[in-house]
Amino acid sequence: MSKLLKRALKNSLFPAILMIAGKVLGIFLTSAIYGLTIEVGNELNGIFSTQIYFEDKAITLFVNSFSDLSMFLFLAIPTAYFIFKTAIFQSTVGNPKTIVKVTKFNILQWITKDDTTFLKIFIWCAFLWVASSIVVINVLQDSTYTWVGILAGSFAFLCGVGAVKTFEIESNNVYPDNKRYY
Amino acid sequence: MKENKVKKTLALVLEPIALGLLALLFIIPAITVVNLQPITKKLKDLDVLGVTNSSGLKVNIIGGSHLIFLNERIDSNEDIYTYKTKLVKREADSYSKPIIEIVNNKEESVNLEIYGGTSIRTNSDIGIIIGEQRYRLQESNGNPLTQKITLAPKETYVIYLYIESFSDVRFEEDFELNIKEIQ
Repeated sequence: MSKLLKRALKNSLFPAILMIAGKVLGIFLTSAIYGLTIEVGNELNGIFSTQIYFEDKAITLFVNSFSDLSMFLFLAIPTAYFIFKTAIFQSTVGNPKTIVKVTKFNILQWITKDDTTFLKIFIWCAFLWVASSIVVINVLQDSTYTWVGILAGSFAFLCGVGAVKTFEIESNNVYPDNKRYY
Repeated sequence: MKENKVKKTLALVLEPIALGLLALLFIIPAITVVNLQPITKKLKDLDVLGVTNSSGLKVNIIGGSHLIFLNERIDSNEDIYTYKTKLVKREADSYSKPIIEIVNNKEESVNLEIYGGTSIRTNSDIGIIIGEQRYRLQESNGNPLTQKITLAPKETYVIYLYIESFSDVRFEEDFELNIKEIQ
């Protein structure tokens, strides 16, 4: 088994767990905070046999929106952090001003070790895209607030752009740009 | 040499399995999340005392959602029905909500004793409304009052709970309402 595949499997496990945890926690925390009556059923009418019921349509929409938002944030925050960290790391290589700024903000530990690989960013970004697709589909089916879909879609797009930029910079390290290095 | 060959064969077998696993790591969370989507459905009437008791009286909780009255439920202990709810912090105002429905299935009138209130003094007037009539259950100074009402035979009554506060209430409180059949 190739090393890349092994690393991909290892890196995929955590976001997969976070995605489910974000949704489940979103549903139960929203219900607990707002004191909503929730019922968990186990009728066999899908791939999984567990269903979560709410009595009112407005409540279902409210809980689904916030659970979608929670699922999305569980993936979006780490992805944004990885992209931001890598961007800073790459910026410090060619720009000493960034080192000064990084020291000023006391985030020097971010650039002392490059443990965020492109593969990691790519996998997290892929999970973020899957999550945002689910949110957007929910919006189209009127089961999530529109603003949650807009937020998820825009953020996933930006993270995608960030991941591509990171890839460009990393590939430049392997195949350097002629103008820059010769 | 032989070991090397075994390793190579194993890697060859494991590679597609690992690829499948990787794909599953994306598919399973996506399907799970879609399946976990809440559904609107009339909930099982777990808190509803829908079974007619020996006296032919039926007390149903109305339910629904409200910003002030939360976690409604109803219990029965012998001939006393107890309705409970949580009153959340609120601004000075008057609030009301239909809470229970009482059905008298008997051929004769039924007399009920209704009493209840909050465990702590809240400077709120609390009572019930049946039809056009208001029945006060707790005065703003915390004094509890007992009300007696008569239900006509074969009639259904919807009981509203009202609460009036002249100053903001900054804490939550538990409210309890007891309904007892008397002769």
